[in-house]
Amino acid sequence: MPQEQWTLRRSLSGESVSYGIQRGIRFQILSDEDLDRIHWGTLHILEKVGVQVDSPTCRKLLKENGCETDEKSRSAKIPSHLVEEALRKKKSAITLAARNPKYDARLDMNHSYMCANGNGAVAIDFETGERRNSTKKDLVDSTTICDALPNVHVHWPMVSSTDMPPSVVHLHDLEASLNHTEKHVMYETGVTLQDAKDLTAMGYAAAGGEKEYRRRPITSCLQCTYAPLQHDAGVMDASLEFARSGVPLVFFCMPQPGATGPASMVGSVVVGNAEVLSALVMTQLSTPGAAVIYGLGIAPLDMKTTVRAGGSPEHAICSAMGTEMAHYYDMPSCVGVSGTAKEPGIQAAIETYTGCVGPLLAGADLMCGIGLLEDSSCLHLEQVVIDDEIVGAIARLIRGEWACDDTLALDIIEKVGIGNNYLAQKHTMQYLKTDHFMPTLMDRRSEDNWSKTGKKSMKDAAREKTKKILAEHKVPPLSDDVNRNLAAIIDQAKKPLWGGESKVQ
Amino acid sequence: MEEIVTRLKNAVINYEMETIADLAKQIVDQGIDPLVAIEEGLAEGIKTVGEKFGKGEIFLPELVMGAESMKAALAVLEPAVPQGQARKTLGKVVIGTVQDDIHEIGKNLVSTMLSSNGFEVIDLGVNVQAADFLKKAGELKPNILAMSALMTTTMPRMGEIITPLKKENPSVKTIVGGAPVTDVYAKEIGADEYSGDASGAVDSAKKLVG
Ligand code: B12
Repeated sequence: MPQEQWTLRRSLSGESVSYGIQRGIRFQILSDEDLDRIHWGTLHILEKVGVQVDSPTCRKLLKENGCETDEKSRSAKIPSHLVEEALRKKKSAITLAARNPKYDARLDMNHSYMCANGNGAVAIDFETGERRNSTKKDLVDSTTICDALPNVHVHWPMVSSTDMPPSVVHLHDLEASLNHTEKHVMYETGVTLQDAKDLTAMGYAAAGGEKEYRRRPITSCLQCTYAPLQHDAGVMDASLEFARSGVPLVFFCMPQPGATGPASMVGSVVVGNAEVLSALVMTQLSTPGAAVIYGLGIAPLDMKTTVRAGGSPEHAICSAMGTEMAHYYDMPSCVGVSGTAKEPGIQAAIETYTGCVGPLLAGADLMCGIGLLEDSSCLHLEQVVIDDEIVGAIARLIRGEWACDDTLALDIIEKVGIGNNYLAQKHTMQYLKTDHFMPTLMDRRSEDNWSKTGKKSMKDAAREKTKKILAEHKVPPLSDDVNRNLAAIIDQAKKPLWGGESKVQ
Repeated sequence: MEEIVTRLKNAVINYEMETIADLAKQIVDQGIDPLVAIEEGLAEGIKTVGEKFGKGEIFLPELVMGAESMKAALAVLEPAVPQGQARKTLGKVVIGTVQDDIHEIGKNLVSTMLSSNGFEVIDLGVNVQAADFLKKAGELKPNILAMSALMTTTMPRMGEIITPLKKENPSVKTIVGGAPVTDVYAKEIGADEYSGDASGAVDSAKKLVG
């Protein structure tokens, strides 16, 4: 029996089932030879084509460490030995600590964790149904819901507080998140050096100081690389600052097959892999041992509608391959899912299911992207609740089955004998708790009962559950002291975004 | 002469990117009016391609390859246009993604759609400073200034351009777009037009020059 199943069995029979999704089944898309070919192909591209590095600081760092750089094209060619060195220095297990330690997400390649999508700019008003720009209130509500849901393990501010002053929207996003969930908070808004400093300061303040934060980082930052083969200046300068400050990073590549990457999925994985590895090289040169998670969210551009095909089978297969690449490098993965549906319903459910099941079966460590529609743009609170249920079902699907004395149940089969039933067995009650998925939204009642109570749809059920959570779920806020510190940081960062001053230094 | 211009038109429709420049050279060598070749060959060809894409008959790469073919032929034909004459277009559009924003795919699609529908498009690229937008508007005197912003943090940059533009170059109209931009927001910052996708961008542009 594989080690992870033994661990799992122990945790299932014991009192404490650990946090996250238990994983007992794994399917494999790429063979060992495929993985090798992608790896060598990537090294070839990094040496021959290189990457564009817009940050002068990062170019200097690469040049000093033996890369051939060109100031005019801002490119750098990265020799293989630097990649190998970075892979030796990197961390293999990363814990995304939570304000409440029971929610710690241990990315140790034996668990999967789910995270909702982040930073949409539009929301459907829960009361009026109106589609409008998102507000801080939307963020508070969606954070509260994510805190309550059992299958959302790490939190990403789902929308932007567009009703706040533009220069500090991201800081309000973090403040509202920290106050309304006890789960780990990952953001993706550290796009300049100053943003990185402000967001880090808020993380330190919420954790109770730098020392405590470095021991238990309760926030992290996801950074996008810029396909094909580019690194934005602000994003990379911020990344090095995060690494220095002990903030875990995800480098998330997003080539769109056919547009900003080759139309073949594997070709786009090569482009994305080159981006992630080159970002890893810069980070490990600057801060050896920095916590970096391998991120990938590759979805093709739909060539008829020109919308990114989030939640497509290709998206799922790429996220699965991204996980396999990450594990090939002995790194935890963070991979994407999303959906292009415009409203909660059949299309949205198919997209979430397709998008999640592939990567989770392949062993994704952290998956982000449920809950927003219109490809990561629009928040529907009901969809967050529906997606939580979908992930619950998938979690059961991938947990794994095994034959041991207890599951074989020969003694029970003998005891019950021929023609009787198992309803009155303790074994039944015991396994009901661990082995039978209990839906909260899916309606399994008879047609008769369903008709009598108004023939409610799953979306209706989700709406009721959402209302109940919003009315009843209480999250302990941060202390007044901490909140004063956070407010001071936000206040200091506020600047008039009018008159041409740049956010990028 | 008729026949070779038809061949040029078909070369755009069949996106013969590699060979269309040779065909354009032949046209120049034969002494055919380059303006006729542009208007009856290239413009007609790209119009057909644009329409097919609009109807969902062809895929995006086919549209882009059609536009690339047109560009390759224009590079040969335009320098041959006699001084003082110019090709007819629906109007001139200056486009770019605003400062601190590097999202380019949507902006590029809008450019392609506009040029395949008869507009002359000057693309300033991504992360374009407000000052540069304003400078180019003054220099190039376009009919339309089009701006793309994909993030809530960079959306305000568009207003920052529109306000001074209205004073400095009131004749230049503005179109804004990008995922987080809404109709309401566009009105708030004083943009003349807003559209949620690339074909809508063409309708908006036509409305502004029409
Ligand atoms: C692909 C992508 C990227 C790629 C861009 C690659 C490239 N070469 O352009 C990469 C990976 C580089 C990237 C980086 C980042 N991204 Co990004 N990205 C996206 C994503 C997933 C898709 C955008 C896209 O290409 N769509 C396909 C095109 C065809 O659609 P479109 O751009 O919307 O354009 C259409 C219409 O909007 C319209 N249109 C567009 N422009 C114009 C202009 C005019 C005049 C008109 C009329 C119409 C129009 O027509 C187009 C065609 O139909 C969006 C989510 C989304 N679905 O929008 C996030 C998104 C825009 N990104 C986001 C973020 C946060 C970032 C980063 C800050 C992340 C990071 N920490 O590194 C960085 C930005 C760095 C910077 N300084 O700009 C957020 C913005 C959040 C917010 N609330 O503001 C989004 C919404 C994702 C999310 N929910 O978190 N990103």
